[in-house]
Amino acid sequence: MHKSIAALGLASILALGVSQGALAAGEKVSVITPFLAAIATGEMIDAFKAKAAEYQWTVDVVDTAGDMAAFASRVEDATTSGANAIVLVSVDPAQIQDQVDKAKAAGVPVITIDGAKNASTVLNVTSDNYVLGETMTKFLFDQIGNKGNIVRFFYSAHPGVHQRELALDAALKANPEIKQVADHYVAVPGQVDDSRAAMDAMLLANPGDGAINAVWAAWDEPGIGANLAIEAAGRKGIVIAGIDGNPQAIELIKACGAYVGTVRQGFGEMANIAAGELNTILAGGSAKADELYAPVELITRESLGVTCP
Amino acid sequence: MTRTNLNRFGTLIAFVLLCIGFSIAAPAAFASPANVFNLVQQMATLAIVATAATLVMTISEFDLSVGFSASLAAVICFVLFGQGYDVWLAVPAALLVGIVGGAANGVLVARFGIPSFVATLALGTILSGFAFGLSGGQSLFQSVPDGFKSLARGDVFGIPVLGFWIVAVLGIAAFVLTQTEFGRRLRAIGGNAQAARLAGLPIVRDVIVTFAIAGGLSALAGLLLASRLGSVQHTMGEPLLLPAYAAVFIGTTASPTGAPTVAGTLLGVAITGVMVNGMTIVGVEPFVQKIMTGVIILVAVLLRRVGRAK
Repeated sequence: MHKSIAALGLASILALGVSQGALAAGEKVSVITPFLAAIATGEMIDAFKAKAAEYQWTVDVVDTAGDMAAFASRVEDATTSGANAIVLVSVDPAQIQDQVDKAKAAGVPVITIDGAKNASTVLNVTSDNYVLGETMTKFLFDQIGNKGNIVRFFYSAHPGVHQRELALDAALKANPEIKQVADHYVAVPGQVDDSRAAMDAMLLANPGDGAINAVWAAWDEPGIGANLAIEAAGRKGIVIAGIDGNPQAIELIKACGAYVGTVRQGFGEMANIAAGELNTILAGGSAKADELYAPVELITRESLGVTCP
Repeated sequence: MTRTNLNRFGTLIAFVLLCIGFSIAAPAAFASPANVFNLVQQMATLAIVATAATLVMTISEFDLSVGFSASLAAVICFVLFGQGYDVWLAVPAALLVGIVGGAANGVLVARFGIPSFVATLALGTILSGFAFGLSGGQSLFQSVPDGFKSLARGDVFGIPVLGFWIVAVLGIAAFVLTQTEFGRRLRAIGGNAQAARLAGLPIVRDVIVTFAIAGGLSALAGLLLASRLGSVQHTMGEPLLLPAYAAVFIGTTASPTGAPTVAGTLLGVAITGVMVNGMTIVGVEPFVQKIMTGVIILVAVLLRRVGRAK
């Protein structure tokens, strides 16, 4: 058993050693997310870290892999450890209101990127998710001539994604000739594989040309999964659109397959705006507003200059 | 210190060394009263779920539905809040669902002879389906009464409310397992079920009751977690499963016989809690945290096995 003491003691020593880099000079900023596995979240955090390096901040990134209890705990840890600021990415702070309130009470400014406005945070930088959903849905419906059958891949637990779903609901009401024949609540993490499996089943359940005309993906990764299933099944006449401007989705659009469009959220821009505002806050100033929007851009074959055979 | 004492207290000493290490690394943050307060809060729900796992492992079974039960109980409670029901109705209803779900696990295992891995995984998946359906897949955080929030927030005389839950739940569980006839029967079933059956012990009843208690404790953990966060997601309890069993396994290294004990489990919960908390505070990279946590669990259990083999 004395060996297990040694093992745990070794953990402490390793912890001390590995921590040396994190204890470098500069403002200490804790970046915490439950969704680092999502490409968009990773892109935001990478962009934020790059900007933070310019400001000479020390950034600790924590991912709790979908575990909201751990997420709350890590926010508490960041507050206790004397972080100069906490940045929450891809999450609604209302889901951990008590912890955000405590950070505010301790004088630690909390900002969110791709989150939601909250009385205890100083800033949320995001895209207008309803506009994102509206833009993508209009494009997708136009692609199928505003009539036909669609399937939906969604994830209502994310407040921003839910806004996109509301935009789809409104569009479906306004376009009675478009029917939703199936939907799937995407499992996160593992969203690409999960969506592929769900699309496999949807294709089997809706055989024949015209049974499914379009795939509405609340973000690109489920669309990429659906694309894999459509390719494997060899089904034609189905178009896919998503949101995020995921690089893989853009490659698929260029490849002239089923994927026809995505709406770029400007994740890097969101992170840049957040870092810039945080720099002002850390210098004793205030954010321009409690919510700021990054610009959105519809990406299609046309916008990419691709001509398909 | 004799070899026997080292065997018995080695894991506890390791825990103390871990605390000392982090205190040296981040003296102002890790060893602060505020962080100790946080640690107690962060460990509470895991400690209760791990206690449920300990009870079931005492009879040499596994309950893979603990996280799902926790999620479903929390979702039911918040859905009832949304419909205007009071805390005094919503909380018992949610606990009852956990107990009934646990009892159903027990019936599948004891009455129908289905391996507990399979039975609890199947039933847990069903429970998760109900949680998903009831929540609509959305985060629920509206209409939560203040009375519910106070279940797991704040402090009494500077001690976090969740600390009292740990003491109450684990204290009762430890008492039942070590000081009552029911507890002795459970240990007998876990030690040798065939011998217990031949001795005339009411195995079927005891197994069903044990799973029902585990279901109730899981539901309680889910409610406390929901109270602490002020929000509910239909998958919120699922991440508790693996750390709960990891804590039980680490805890067995502190047991003279290698059997699960409530005290050992609490130690396991404390070690895993301090590891994550301490490494976060000192700024260890997330991937290193995961690797180190896994390695420590593996090393602790392997060394125990090697020690026992000798």
